[in-house]
Amino acid sequence: MLNVSKKNHSSHNSIRNRRGRSESKWPQRLSVRILTLNRPKQLNALNSNMITRLMQMFLEYEEDPNVKIVILKGQGRAFCVGGDPLPVFRDIVIQGKSWRVGADFFSEQYKLDHIMATYSKVQISILNGIVMGGGAGISVHGRFRIATEKTVFAMPETELGLFPDVGASYFLSRLPGFFGEYVGLTGARLDGAEMLACGLATHFVPSSRLTALEADLCKVGSSDPVTFASAILNAYTKHPKLKQHSAYYRQVYNIFFHLLLLLVFEFDGYLLSSFNSSLRRLDVIDRCFSRRTMEEIISALEKEAIEKPNEWISATIRALKKASPASLKISLRSIREGRFQGVEQCLIREYRMVCHVLKREISKDFVEGCRAVVIDKDRNPKWEPRSLEEMKDNMVERYFERVDEEDGWEDLKLSPRKNLPALIIAKL
Amino acid sequence: MSENRALQRAHILANHILRSPPLPSSLSLAREVCLQYSPPELNESYGFDVKEMRRLLDGHNTEDRDWLYGLMMQSNLFNRKERGGKIFVSPDYNQTMEQQREITMKRIWYLLEKGVYRGWLTDSGPEAELKKLALLEVCGIYDHSLSIKLGVHFFLWGNAVKFFGTKRHHEKWLKNTEDYVVKGCFAMTELGHGSNVRGIETVTTYDPRTGEFVINTPCESAQKYWIGGAAKHATHTIVFSQLNINGTNQGVHAFIAQIRDEDGNICPNIRVADCGHKIGLNGVDNGRIWFDNLRIPRENLLNSVADVSPDGEYVSAIKDPDQRFGAFMAPLTSGRVTIASSAIYSAKVGLAIALRYSLSRRAFSVKANGPEVLLLDYPSHQRRLLPLLAKTYAMSFAANDLKMIYVKRTPETNKAIHVVSSGLKAVLTWHNMHTLQECREAVGGQGVKTENLVGQLKGEFDVQTTFEGDNNVLMQQVSKALFAEYVSCKKRNKPFKGLGLEHMNSSRPVLPTQLSSSTLRCSQFQKNVFCLRERDLLERFTSEVAQLQGRGESRESSFLVNHELAEDLGKAFTEKAILQTILDAEAKLPAGSMKDVLGLVRSMYALISIEEDPSFLRYGYLSRDNVGDVRREVSKLCGELRPHALALVSSFGIPDAFLGPIAFNWVEANAWSSV
Repeated sequence: MLNVSKKNHSSHNSIRNRRGRSESKWPQRLSVRILTLNRPKQLNALNSNMITRLMQMFLEYEEDPNVKIVILKGQGRAFCVGGDPLPVFRDIVIQGKSWRVGADFFSEQYKLDHIMATYSKVQISILNGIVMGGGAGISVHGRFRIATEKTVFAMPETELGLFPDVGASYFLSRLPGFFGEYVGLTGARLDGAEMLACGLATHFVPSSRLTALEADLCKVGSSDPVTFASAILNAYTKHPKLKQHSAYYRQVYNIFFHLLLLLVFEFDGYLLSSFNSSLRRLDVIDRCFSRRTMEEIISALEKEAIEKPNEWISATIRALKKASPASLKISLRSIREGRFQGVEQCLIREYRMVCHVLKREISKDFVEGCRAVVIDKDRNPKWEPRSLEEMKDNMVERYFERVDEEDGWEDLKLSPRKNLPALIIAKL
Repeated sequence: MSENRALQRAHILANHILRSPPLPSSLSLAREVCLQYSPPELNESYGFDVKEMRRLLDGHNTEDRDWLYGLMMQSNLFNRKERGGKIFVSPDYNQTMEQQREITMKRIWYLLEKGVYRGWLTDSGPEAELKKLALLEVCGIYDHSLSIKLGVHFFLWGNAVKFFGTKRHHEKWLKNTEDYVVKGCFAMTELGHGSNVRGIETVTTYDPRTGEFVINTPCESAQKYWIGGAAKHATHTIVFSQLNINGTNQGVHAFIAQIRDEDGNICPNIRVADCGHKIGLNGVDNGRIWFDNLRIPRENLLNSVADVSPDGEYVSAIKDPDQRFGAFMAPLTSGRVTIASSAIYSAKVGLAIALRYSLSRRAFSVKANGPEVLLLDYPSHQRRLLPLLAKTYAMSFAANDLKMIYVKRTPETNKAIHVVSSGLKAVLTWHNMHTLQECREAVGGQGVKTENLVGQLKGEFDVQTTFEGDNNVLMQQVSKALFAEYVSCKKRNKPFKGLGLEHMNSSRPVLPTQLSSSTLRCSQFQKNVFCLRERDLLERFTSEVAQLQGRGESRESSFLVNHELAEDLGKAFTEKAILQTILDAEAKLPAGSMKDVLGLVRSMYALISIEEDPSFLRYGYLSRDNVGDVRREVSKLCGELRPHALALVSSFGIPDAFLGPIAFNWVEANAWSSV
């Protein structure tokens, strides 16, 4: 309870204590539960206690006929920065425990993601701050995701020697075009407007209006909660303009502006070309990140960089060169496979992959990544294999196989969910 | 419901008599729970590793295939639509012919930009060829028009330049073809001549004064017909024509001619007309071409086999015109290879849809008030679909095998490739048509909806039985080739080698008179039955032809008279070749559940082939009792394959988005909210 607080809305505090009596008096207030991740110093990084607690609460609310909407938010400047790698690192590296200990942590996290992805009630996640990795896992799979002007989203796993997991191969692969590959491989930061534009967020609400929004959501009555929540959220949502340099910019957004620019800045060739390039980003992403292999993606980007150099493309190439080659290759393959799989299959496959990552037989990059980013913070990891070329296809292949030789190892067992047929439908 | 209804009726009757107030409405509204879609995955389990089976079936380049599936799914050009909460990509067949042609061309540009065709003509070697074949197959799973339009450009135009041409042609055209700087077509067929290429009437002469060839369409029957790409998009064509040098006809030769300029205007001395709307494949712009004294440079003769010198002298290393023609045609085998494999992928789409539907749709209760029965739990429904499933498996291995011998071809294997590809192209495309029709019927009215694909695919794939060699003609060629092989071995008193005829060197297999279940499932027995049929039919066919020839008939007319035997023999040869490929695939597997299931599939293939071919009874290879045993075993196998049905179609590896909505939540896909 320390970490996951069931923090009711101000008017709710009393309800928790007087549940039975208050029910008839304010039936609507019982219908909304607000869960706040409360580990602000660690940016609400998920530890196993929080995961267990969240799982308990979500399952309990699903059973409770009074609950209609579950709101999930974070205390402080982050929603959630994902699974905390420190305990795993401590267990399997410093204390030398079996990698299976680490695998258990991931398994619980994936099971929680699965419950959310197949949740029969309305989950609304308020992403008023940083959302990374596992934080995406506990929000993107839910029905509604509210971004704000404070939202910063990223899947930074390739920088950690891991790969975008928590069902990311499911939701990233379903983003428009090849934006998912871009986000998953480069760890690019997205703001709230970009999350809304690409579909990772369903709504955008200025943070100043969140309190009012919550209060309105608490008024859910006997109507259908999905319709109710949509109506409220739609009333609050804004359509923020994408920043001029956004990676999600499409040429069509501003053809008129472009023409105007042509007239006004006729002679300023430099300005024109730099503006041009920012318009073309989404096209560049589709052109490059659609390539068959990691090597081809990078060489396509490099070709673009030579033809039309700009800071964004250089940063993109830098991010890829900085990431673990092993991670890049398994991440690309994971997203590509995820495109054809249901969320269950994705989680099961990702669990296989993460077991191989933890087992460190093919590459030890996860440990090295944690060391460089979280422990020593030198940000100078020594990857092994060192280059994409050295990460051979057969090595990539092994991450996708069962961990057969291991005693008692099993594929991730996801508990059957009631009403599955209707819920199999992707919320993204 | 029936109880309620009875009660309600009783009440109504009572009301008539007693004139009491009508029933409360709640009673009349009481009803049974509505039908709910339940995904087959919930109730069916996988008895083997589906991923492994998929690798085995696709045979090669699995990841490249998935990449291309993904490229299509992520683009709006491929007509993405959401049905029942799932994304589907499938062409809008309700578009006009013109729209379908334009969107097909746009899809080709999109895939070009993504680098899909890189190396299709400029790389060589088995690995590059297999990758190209895999990617073409995936295009064909999305839309047959797409793969045919690509096939014409790369496999007909491109390969003609590559194989009939020499260095100067390669340098000028291959890279430009790969990059679609030029768009090629292939003008062989004429209104008056299709399969009989040697009879075409287009005439080309040489003008030594200008160093040009002059191409003419001398009569209406010589107009080039069905030329894919000619009606709208192609800029260049291969022209097949008789070459007349100084009054001597040197036979059929291939030339390059430009038919449109860069802006798409038709060139002078060329007339082009449209073939019009077709029963399918409307994304391909088939057209007709007439040549009116069209002059092309001397270098445009594809001169790998024969050339004309600047002063107009004909030179060829191959003196015999027949052999020359054969040398010309040999590279065209690639068309039959790709058609055979694409036919199997089409059958896979049909079966995946029909079987998934049959695992989620119920009809009629067997017991009063009992639940309705799942379609695939009816033995009759199993009998309709599962043998087709087994055949598709067996033929899938055969298609892979054909691809392997094709990409590893040598001059020595050319004959075998010709014979095997002819037989397989015919048998596999016929199988596809039968399968699609059965699947269409098996899904009932839903099969009539275009979006559910099975019905539409019939039209889209129908032409496969005709193009690149009419199926019946191809089957006759198989028998003729076997006849020639037989005669030559006997004449030279040499043992049979190649074409899978080695079994003819040992003694005639003797089949047991009583056929137990275990005998029927024994691979050796199955092989013996297939060998016996092939051997006996080959001997009958050769002796019948020889007899007629002895009475002074020509060989050709002796063949014609014996067309029935020839047909039976062609089928026997091809079915045995198919059986051999699935046996080989099975033998390579380690013991385990996958091998066991494949064993069941193979037995089903063997036994259903026996059951369906009257030859076994007609020529007495099997007795009436035997045939009855075979039939019972087929039915038993249906029951044993039933639990694996879902796993077997999932192993086809076709992403959900490429199947029809009835393969998934068809209740949701048809819900009012989706209207």
